[in-house]
Amino acid sequence: MTPREQVESVIYRSCMTLDAADFDGYINLCDDDYHYRISAYSPEIRKDMIWLEHDKDGMSTLFKQLPRHNSDKSPLSRHATIYSVEFADGDKEANVVSFLQVFKTALDGGTTELYAVGKMYDKVKLNGKGATLVNREVKLDTRQLGIGHHVPF
Amino acid sequence: MSRNSTQWHAKPNLPETHYVDTSVYTSEELFREEQEKIFNKVWIIACHESEIPNKFDYRTFHHPGGENLIIIRGEDDKVRAFYNICPHRGNTILYDPSGNAKRMTCIFHSWSFDPQGSCVEIPRGKEGYQERLGKADVCLREVKCDRGYGGFIWVNVDDESMSLQEYIGDALGLLDESLAPELEVFTYHKAIVNTNYKLWHDTNSEFYHDYMHYFNRITGMMQPGYFDRKYTGYKYGHASVGSMEVKYDAYEGSAQRGVGWPGLAPGGWILIDLFPGMTYNLRTSVLRMDTSIPLGPNKVMIEFRGLGLKSDNADERAERVRDHNTIWGPFGRNLHEDLLGVHGQGIAMREGTDSKWVIHGREENNTIHDEIGMRHFYAEWGRRMNRMASEPQKPFNKSEAA
Repeated sequence: MTPREQVESVIYRSCMTLDAADFDGYINLCDDDYHYRISAYSPEIRKDMIWLEHDKDGMSTLFKQLPRHNSDKSPLSRHATIYSVEFADGDKEANVVSFLQVFKTALDGGTTELYAVGKMYDKVKLNGKGATLVNREVKLDTRQLGIGHHVPF
Repeated sequence: MSRNSTQWHAKPNLPETHYVDTSVYTSEELFREEQEKIFNKVWIIACHESEIPNKFDYRTFHHPGGENLIIIRGEDDKVRAFYNICPHRGNTILYDPSGNAKRMTCIFHSWSFDPQGSCVEIPRGKEGYQERLGKADVCLREVKCDRGYGGFIWVNVDDESMSLQEYIGDALGLLDESLAPELEVFTYHKAIVNTNYKLWHDTNSEFYHDYMHYFNRITGMMQPGYFDRKYTGYKYGHASVGSMEVKYDAYEGSAQRGVGWPGLAPGGWILIDLFPGMTYNLRTSVLRMDTSIPLGPNKVMIEFRGLGLKSDNADERAERVRDHNTIWGPFGRNLHEDLLGVHGQGIAMREGTDSKWVIHGREENNTIHDEIGMRHFYAEWGRRMNRMASEPQKPFNKSEAA
């Protein structure tokens, strides 16, 4: 795969693994130094807000604890469109900006609604064989998420 | 052993204070009465002072009685509240949820108002109205506004209402020291849920539903002191729950809180419910404020705020944010579970589902799994609504009903 293809592969697989609740598969896409954050800007209080933040171990623990909690089981479908890829350090790293759309489908009846939109700002490491996620920040435009969700976007 | 229709509809074998007819959660008529008799008569939190820190800063607020309000800080630093309605042709004056406006100018015809509510500009006023109508005739409608209890900005659209201090009484006494420092909102979001506002407040009024929360079972219910916490009822329907030491590190991935809160013991947790739909939830390192804004009998918008101390340094604030997000916010472990619960109630109790009774019958000497918090709420509800929640079709005073 070309470096660009490696970047695309890890971004899209990150969506597919979460959609499939393949949390081990998602964690395997992450570098040991992985850092994840969901944030949003509030026009009401005029501040940037952090809504979720974990390192790789924290994300693993979050996924591990999920079965112990009561959660909305409506499946989410994540659609990412890569807007830009900027390579650095001789194509060993890339900064990626993607547009993210998240859809929610009701288990009863199958109605799909648009649940959230935002952008993903990723730092990706390329090692020749493939790419891993080093840092991801999901900056949500959508701030009204109804009853909320336990699984990160 | 199941029940047939007659048995399902029969009144529970409990005192009439210990159950409610589910039509209180679904009736459009009762909802309109609640807006008139409750929400338009009581003090409601509109925003926090940290959201309007500078002169001419404003916030807009959808009042649960239906009115849309502007909350604005004047040049004199006083915060006032007005209807967000232009007296000319009824347009919304301020469209954005927040901003800064030395003059509030309606986009429609450029009528302009100052932060004290005076009309200061009517374009071509003399040409159009001559001496028949002037600026003094078209000032904004001001509503009562006060600051208190942690820096929150309260409003009351009833010009004849009691003071905020009288309304709260000593209900917030457990938080006297904790609400003394200057506070700051660091997170805000709304959740719109298809359920009745009282079902959300009911959930905040009882801890028996900790069976729904793995986090709370591990860090609270299984720890010493949990079952010793007691409910106390106050005048006007408010209620408080005393503290315990929460064992946060019992939940994998969670640590004991390094940051505390003035006036609260380490690991402490105090919750105070204010009638008809606000909750102070001070949990060790974060204050959460819920404000329920009913949009209909089966739709509620809940505002969620997370607050820290204005004096926090960067590390302290970062820890409060992390602590908040563990269990609260749109991705927190607990909040989603609570909202899922009331979402389910909203589905099960829609008009036409033949739901009938909700039981508030637990009695455990006012301790944490007692349902006295809800009984206390519905006693006040009944006083204001002139009927028992267990029999809402029969007003106490028929002449008032007419």
